[in-house]
Amino acid sequence: MSSQQYLALEGRRSGLPFLAGAAALTALTFVCFRYHVNSTTVGLLFLIVVVLVSLRASFLPAAIISLLAYLCLDYFFTEPLFTLGMSQTLDFVAPVAYIATALVITRLIWSVRRSEDERQRAEERLRSSQAELAHVSRVLTMGELAASIAHEINQPLTAIVTNGGACLRWLSAEEPDLEEARAAARRIVRDGHSASDIMTRIRAFLKKADAQRGPVDLNRTIQEVVALTRDQAAASSVTLRTEFFEELPKVLGDRVQLQQVVLNLVLNAIEATARTDKRGREIRITTLQAEAERAIVEVSDSGQGIDLQSLEHIFEPFYSTKAEGLGMGLAISRSIVESHGGELTAAADDGHGATFRFSLPLYQQKLR
Amino acid sequence: MNDQRTTVFVVDDDLAIREALGSLIRSAGLAVETFASAHDFLEHSGADAPSCLVLDVKLPGLSGLDLQKQMTNAGVEIPIVFITGHGDIPMSVRAMKAGAVEFLTKPFRDEDLLEAIKDAISRDDVVRRQRAVVRQLRERYGSLTPREREVMSLVVSGLLNKQIAAQLGTSEITIKVHRGQVMLKMKANSLAQLVRMSERLEILRAETILGEDSD
Repeated sequence: MSSQQYLALEGRRSGLPFLAGAAALTALTFVCFRYHVNSTTVGLLFLIVVVLVSLRASFLPAAIISLLAYLCLDYFFTEPLFTLGMSQTLDFVAPVAYIATALVITRLIWSVRRSEDERQRAEERLRSSQAELAHVSRVLTMGELAASIAHEINQPLTAIVTNGGACLRWLSAEEPDLEEARAAARRIVRDGHSASDIMTRIRAFLKKADAQRGPVDLNRTIQEVVALTRDQAAASSVTLRTEFFEELPKVLGDRVQLQQVVLNLVLNAIEATARTDKRGREIRITTLQAEAERAIVEVSDSGQGIDLQSLEHIFEPFYSTKAEGLGMGLAISRSIVESHGGELTAAADDGHGATFRFSLPLYQQKLR
Repeated sequence: MNDQRTTVFVVDDDLAIREALGSLIRSAGLAVETFASAHDFLEHSGADAPSCLVLDVKLPGLSGLDLQKQMTNAGVEIPIVFITGHGDIPMSVRAMKAGAVEFLTKPFRDEDLLEAIKDAISRDDVVRRQRAVVRQLRERYGSLTPREREVMSLVVSGLLNKQIAAQLGTSEITIKVHRGQVMLKMKANSLAQLVRMSERLEILRAETILGEDSD
């Protein structure tokens, strides 16, 4: 906010306290005059008005109230009455005291407000950079995961292909070398197994987080994701709406992983919604409890929906409808939900939008 | 090229790939030696027969590209066939610019690799022959006296004996003797051959002259 905007805002804030101050002065003058309250008491009462106005208004209105207070004091309460003149000590001290009070208080209030504003802006910046970070780390994690899977699998694959070539050459030589061919074939079998071991390791890696499981408040988890993605949603003119089942019992799981699932779904929904007409861009996140002691989370968007053909493949790794997508988000989300003993499904809402829904067993159920 | 000592060196950190490549290259009738790291390869003494290096780009410690650079700086000339898990274009451009013979992405066709290896070996063969010729010429040139070298440079620049004698302040007969010595020691059968030899030695001569100047 520039200082000019700031002053304009201050001006608007000052109107009401100024009028209230003026009214208070008039009323006090009337009452005190009527009941012959002595000038020193009136002077102190007026000081209270000046303090109160200064607390709420900027310096200029506070100064005007100070001046008015001084004029009323001088005219109605200090001898000689009904004249304006500097005849008594109070006539000199009161205006100085009023103005000084107004100046000091408005100044203090101003600096307090300014630091408050700065704090707020810093918080906003923090929130938006957090959302960015979440997105970047999501992309990075998936990119790294995809790249390392590709590399890990590619090594034994290369060995298999090369051994296959070598094996054929040993066999089709003028004098076939069966021992060499056999050795190459044995290596093919071995490397095939090692490729499959890598797949097992990756699956185990995705399941590994078992140790970090505990009761998770889904509503709170979702609230955190909403806070993280709010700025991104706003940037795409998408409204994020939550409909929480307030008494939703906790589920058993890894908070960070479940957050990742919700984050994936919400970011996907924002991207899908941003590609449609600007009006009515909305994402609704609902939590509910299903009869079978399961918690349900639904993320519905008003986006372009999913065609039937894509619907069959969206959970497959490396399947993406986005130009820059890796196609790992939903695949990873599904494996996280499944490793929690839940289910993640997608449905295309007729014509517009899509709904992703996952269920998770409740914490209590696990304890029994 | 079918020299017994022709060896293909393979550097890859993955044992499965080393074994597979070893078998494939042997099946093509070539000798092969495998190494798990760039350091292991560097410790091995250089080959004295036409050879070639099959090098993984991504190696723990010293990477394939670093090894290439290090060998170039050290003056080790061995043609390199790069293999890589994920070859991006800038990486392959860098490798090829630095003199790589081929840049193959895993998994590659065995024919492609063997083709690249044979290509690399025949390149190395040519380079080695050329280097051997130059080395021989240098030796012959080294046997010339300083005066003979002077005479040789004037002869190949096209001057007649008479002109050379005038320039060096000596008799034509003396120059004739020197010239005969030059032809004999350089084993040149004709003036044309001597000129070609001097062209090959051009760099060397420039270096020698520079070296003498700075003394």
